Amino acid sequence: MAVYRRSRRHRFVLFLLVLTSVTVITLDFRGGDGGFLDDARGGIRDLFAPVQSAADRVFAPVGDFFGGLTRYGDVKAENERLRRELEEARSRNLRQAGSEREREKLLALQQLEFGSNVPAVAARVVSTSPSNFQLTLTIDRGSEHRVAEGMPVVTGAGLVGRVVDVSRSRATVLLITDRSSNVGVRLQSSGDVGVAKGSGARDPLTVDLVDVETNVAEGEAVVTSGLQQSVFPPAIPVGRVRSARVPPGALQKEITVDPVVDLGRVEFVKVLHWDPQP
Amino acid sequence: MTSDPRLRVPLVIVTALVIHLSVLSRLRVAGVMPDLMLLLAVAGGITGGSVQGAVIGFVSGMTVDFFLETPLGLSGLVFSVTGYCVGVAQTGILRSAWWIPMLTAFVASAAGQLLFAVAGAVVGATPIDTGHLLVVLLVVGVTNALLAPLALRLVGWSLARQARPGVYVA
Repeated sequence: MAVYRRSRRHRFVLFLLVLTSVTVITLDFRGGDGGFLDDARGGIRDLFAPVQSAADRVFAPVGDFFGGLTRYGDVKAENERLRRELEEARSRNLRQAGSEREREKLLALQQLEFGSNVPAVAARVVSTSPSNFQLTLTIDRGSEHRVAEGMPVVTGAGLVGRVVDVSRSRATVLLITDRSSNVGVRLQSSGDVGVAKGSGARDPLTVDLVDVETNVAEGEAVVTSGLQQSVFPPAIPVGRVRSARVPPGALQKEITVDPVVDLGRVEFVKVLHWDPQP
Repeated sequence: MTSDPRLRVPLVIVTALVIHLSVLSRLRVAGVMPDLMLLLAVAGGITGGSVQGAVIGFVSGMTVDFFLETPLGLSGLVFSVTGYCVGVAQTGILRSAWWIPMLTAFVASAAGQLLFAVAGAVVGATPIDTGHLLVVLLVVGVTNALLAPLALRLVGWSLARQARPGVYVA
């Protein structure tokens, strides 16, 4: 009898905790952005930011050490590849400097939006997501640096993601490889538009909604489409086509795209102060 | 040091949070990190029984929720249920071998991650990808099992319980 009563009391405690959690989840959903819980979340992150920065400084070598151990071969091969690419890029740069100037003049003439003209704030990546189900980065700029939710985040190479959460001194960036991420893209050669969806850190993006008739070449550049009311400005490089095929009976091409940015090792990013146009 | 669990438990949870955010998020195996906060709930269930497991799980889950983009309370919900179930499963097990807590940590951590993935999909926060989910379950299960002796000592200390010989000592 006593055991029965005790287990009933235990179940009651569990019931209370579950009820509290469900209530909080519901409040978080209904409150949305700027709700009480959103403020609390931001406040706690800001409060914890100095502690986290200090701990990151202490423990960064640990991560580097382990990362170095497991990736030594990769790093060496990558170093060689990068040297080679740097040589190529230098010569290409020289050749293209002229045409780039010409293009910018033309764009200015036509008053088209151009990625580099959007005002931006530079930020350092302070940590990656402490989660196995979401791919995010935390950066050391927040609302006090005019970073706001929805702003696109880029590196010199291309698109990283967009800001999904902001506190006073920190912002969280959802990577384009996250499974809930969608980016409107344009295939450079055909000009066809589609939607690039994330499929995890180690897998390429998949591009939906591209017609079966479209010619897609491997290695072709994919950039943001920047269609009306788009979250992203146009012409930010997203990736290169890895493969394109038409499964039997399909109504759209099956295209995979490797991101141009090495999203596992981003250190510095730029947040674009971009307002989606009405 | 004080022996009051009301002070020790928060201290352990904050320490674990720092390790979770700064160290473990860098030590990824196949892109997956151990879940120390979930492990605290499991250790709470093993050390203190169902109620302690549920309470520690709730507190550690709510704490880590502030640093995730999933809805606030999701980890709290999942971890408290996990801690409770571990506590229930523990009663009636003859605790003698060193590997039983580690096996418990393996099974409970994988189950907790599965529950989190399902709960996340139900509220529409994290779409399920079966292949990735299987990797997560395996890696979190194994790494958490390896971390289990440490977590058991931490939680045992926070609940001011003496480790019984041959039980938590691996």
